[in-house]
Amino acid sequence: MSERPTAQELTEAILEFLGGEILPTLDDHRLRFRTLVAMNALSIVHRELAALPVEEDAEQRELARAIRAGDVPPGTLRRVKADVEARLRVASPAFLDGYR
Amino acid sequence: MIAEMREALQAALGGEITEPVLLAGGASKEAWAVDVDGEPLLVRRAAGSVIHRHTLSLENEFAVLQAAHAAGVKVPKPLQYISDLAGREAFVMERLDGETIGRRVVRQAELAGARERLPVQMADELAKIHAIPVARVPFLHEARLERMVEELDEVGEPHPAIELGLWWLRENRPPPREPVVVHGDYRIGNLVVGDAGLVGVLDWEFAHLDDPVRDLAFALVRAWRFGVPERRLGGVGPVEPYVERYNALTGLQVTPDELDYWELAGNVGWAIGCLTQMQRHLSGQDRSVELAILGRLGVEVEYEIVNLLERLAT
Repeated sequence: MSERPTAQELTEAILEFLGGEILPTLDDHRLRFRTLVAMNALSIVHRELAALPVEEDAEQRELARAIRAGDVPPGTLRRVKADVEARLRVASPAFLDGYR
Repeated sequence: MIAEMREALQAALGGEITEPVLLAGGASKEAWAVDVDGEPLLVRRAAGSVIHRHTLSLENEFAVLQAAHAAGVKVPKPLQYISDLAGREAFVMERLDGETIGRRVVRQAELAGARERLPVQMADELAKIHAIPVARVPFLHEARLERMVEELDEVGEPHPAIELGLWWLRENRPPPREPVVVHGDYRIGNLVVGDAGLVGVLDWEFAHLDDPVRDLAFALVRAWRFGVPERRLGGVGPVEPYVERYNALTGLQVTPDELDYWELAGNVGWAIGCLTQMQRHLSGQDRSVELAILGRLGVEVEYEIVNLLERLAT
């Protein structure tokens, strides 16, 4: 299932933040150098992600369309909850563990 | 930038003015703290980015603040609207003393006494807000529940959990109540809190006309409990004294079912809000990691939606 922002879009946002907002504030030469190295490493991740095939979200699109049309058979909520849990385990596992 | 602001404020306000300090704030509005003749003031000014749709202009927000102040709502005293403050519109109001950071309001030990008072105090202020005469703020529009669908469609990403929430809301709508002036974002984080409880209601940019219970229930949304989910009213306390007080003051008989309905609606609205914030980043309108990550953290809200739906189904 594809997620927005994609992993690549997230690395891009972090690169912009580091280069645009953090780097200009660093006077310490060692910190500047290490930040540039970190950005370079993140750029590698960014390009590596670009090489991956685009994930298919046709199934989620179809499910969303069906619910919008009022087609909500028994079991829909259970299925949707399982999908949300799987996404939550990536995006915010501490929230899932702490949910009560 | 600071020297320019100081000059512009000096020209607009006169008096003896301290150096303005830019406070941390949102992407669409700036907040400057400044003292004029010893009076602590806050200047709310448009930021560089495009104004978010469905929010009030600063001129109209100022007018709502004036109407709320006239109605006796605890708000910072509105002082002056300035159409051109160093090139952008702005208004000046009193700077209230107190805590606004939600996480601190719900956790700080020194604010335990304030938390005990907040449920009743929040109901007091909301009842006054909902009694503001519509004629006083004729530019406010009614917000329909359907607008959430339009906003979701503008994002264009499939989110079955949000669709399921919207579907339930369509199928189970309670009888509509007479629309009133609502704050639109009435929750912990938009309230100034001091030792004795509620000091003032801030951030009126989402004010509109709506079902009063929608406004009443928004503070129940889990995301605005700031990590203390067992206290259903904004992480500060129980819901019952809040609703009882509100009902006693307004004469409305808000039922628990109605509250559940609008709590779900508040969650659906915020889940979509996370996506529209993300879209501001992806579209290039406001590039920011904070906005970007909201696109992923919205799944926390989706999880709350499916859990609420499970409870409503039993």
